[in-house]
Amino acid sequence: MPKYKLFLLRHGEGAWNKENRFCSWVDQHLSEEGVKEAQQCGGLLKEQGYRLDAVFTSLLTRSIQTAWLVTQAMGDEWVPVLKSWRLNERHYGALIGLNRAELALNHGEEEVRLWRRSYDITPPPITESHPFFFDIYNDRRYLTCDVPLEELPRSESLKQVLDRLLPYWNNVIVPEIKKDRTVLISAHGNSCRALLKHIEGISDDDIVGVTLPTGIPILLELDSDLQPVKPHELLGNQVQIQNAIRKVEDQGKAKKTDT
Amino acid sequence: MLIQKASGGVADAFLFRVRKFKSQRMAAYRLVLIRHGESCWNQENRFCGWFDADLSEAGVQEAKRGGQALKDSGFEFDVCYTSVLQRAIRTLWLVLDGIDQMWLPVHRTWRLNERHYGGLTGLNKAETAARHGEAQVKVWRRSYDIPPPPMDAEHDLYSAISQDRRYRDLSKDQLPICESLKDTIARALPFWNEEIVPQIKEGKKVLIAAHGNSLRGIVKHLEDMTDEAIMNLNLPTGIPIVYELDKNLKPIKPMQFLGDEETVRKAMEAVAAQGKAKK
Repeated sequence: MPKYKLFLLRHGEGAWNKENRFCSWVDQHLSEEGVKEAQQCGGLLKEQGYRLDAVFTSLLTRSIQTAWLVTQAMGDEWVPVLKSWRLNERHYGALIGLNRAELALNHGEEEVRLWRRSYDITPPPITESHPFFFDIYNDRRYLTCDVPLEELPRSESLKQVLDRLLPYWNNVIVPEIKKDRTVLISAHGNSCRALLKHIEGISDDDIVGVTLPTGIPILLELDSDLQPVKPHELLGNQVQIQNAIRKVEDQGKAKKTDT
Repeated sequence: MLIQKASGGVADAFLFRVRKFKSQRMAAYRLVLIRHGESCWNQENRFCGWFDADLSEAGVQEAKRGGQALKDSGFEFDVCYTSVLQRAIRTLWLVLDGIDQMWLPVHRTWRLNERHYGGLTGLNKAETAARHGEAQVKVWRRSYDIPPPPMDAEHDLYSAISQDRRYRDLSKDQLPICESLKDTIARALPFWNEEIVPQIKEGKKVLIAAHGNSLRGIVKHLEDMTDEAIMNLNLPTGIPIVYELDKNLKPIKPMQFLGDEETVRKAMEAVAAQGKAKK
């Protein structure tokens, strides 16, 4: 019998998702479509009779906005929401702001796929000359982290994402789960992937092929040792889910941009 | 953008307090309170209390304007507090969105909930006045320590409120079935003293989004007001209320409202007009 329920949710579309650019640590709101995705997710969870007890998000507005919209749709606004940089999207370093399809045209689809989906390849670090460097590191929120500003990442592989996520998972999230609280983690594509890898024991090679759709709640049912009792389940209409997965996979493909 | 002192009906209550602030002390800390705007039940003029009514569209706009007023004045916060009722939480969310500080830590507590109106919860204020008489209603609304009739198990909203999951950690002694203003303040102040004050003293900039009566508790305490004086104070809705405090957390001047003069004046008049019996 499964003991604990855990939901992972990758936030929906933001403005840069629409433009197919690596958003990463740049702080953006959801687009109108992303807002709808979050509301639908909340509606679905409510319809299926789930109630939440605790929510965890990153420090990035789009994950927080998603959490608010989901809990509002469920009538669970009172539920505690805890925020941490350790759930932030993967830091894409110097690639932040670059368009994925153009990158694929210049470097080849395979190279882009490797940067996006390999386990331990770190993109080149962001430097002060990058147009978004100060937008990120001058932001007050990064003075509130449990590491000093200068020790926050300048670029990350997926492995490095998991390395900084695990202490938060172990020390903050797991104790809540073990109190038999239904937890929602409202986060990002790569922070969700990293956590899924850890929980399900996915290999370094296999994680490359794992793509999480946006706005679709991922249900994990865990035993008392936090081992999954079955594979994770994507909740909702299966046709919609397959379309959502395909949409994310297409982002990495080379496309000529409209002139 | 004008910072307006309270005007209209509360001028007399304020005069007394203005005289107390004659000596200008240095502000060590700044605190902002905001009372949520119109809820769907406010619209219907019903005693809301612990019923979890949502904001009306007007209430949403009030919160957005409050956020805009804070944004225009460049306010930055470090930590936020609110109740477990959605009308306060959503007000806070709308404000945080307006000032682009959605990443701030938010602590929710039942201790900042609105006063529990017991058996009156859900009743239309005008009907209650017609049924019990204006005088009795006035006593319940205006008395400091006389509670309304309790909400018993037969009440329509008993299980929706008393058995809601959000209160599962409260002991039987803690979970109210009705409250006087005195009761509300008695359960709000421990949270203020034990959780909020230490944060202020650490230099954290605090924003509290809550309800008319829980905020009255904080104001009464900050300004050392009498029971009667607090009963005469109607905090405006959707308008950021700014306190500048000395190092002992005593206000160095009267509370200030952020917003345009007309918004402030209209809001205060609207609250004072409620509760009169209508044929």
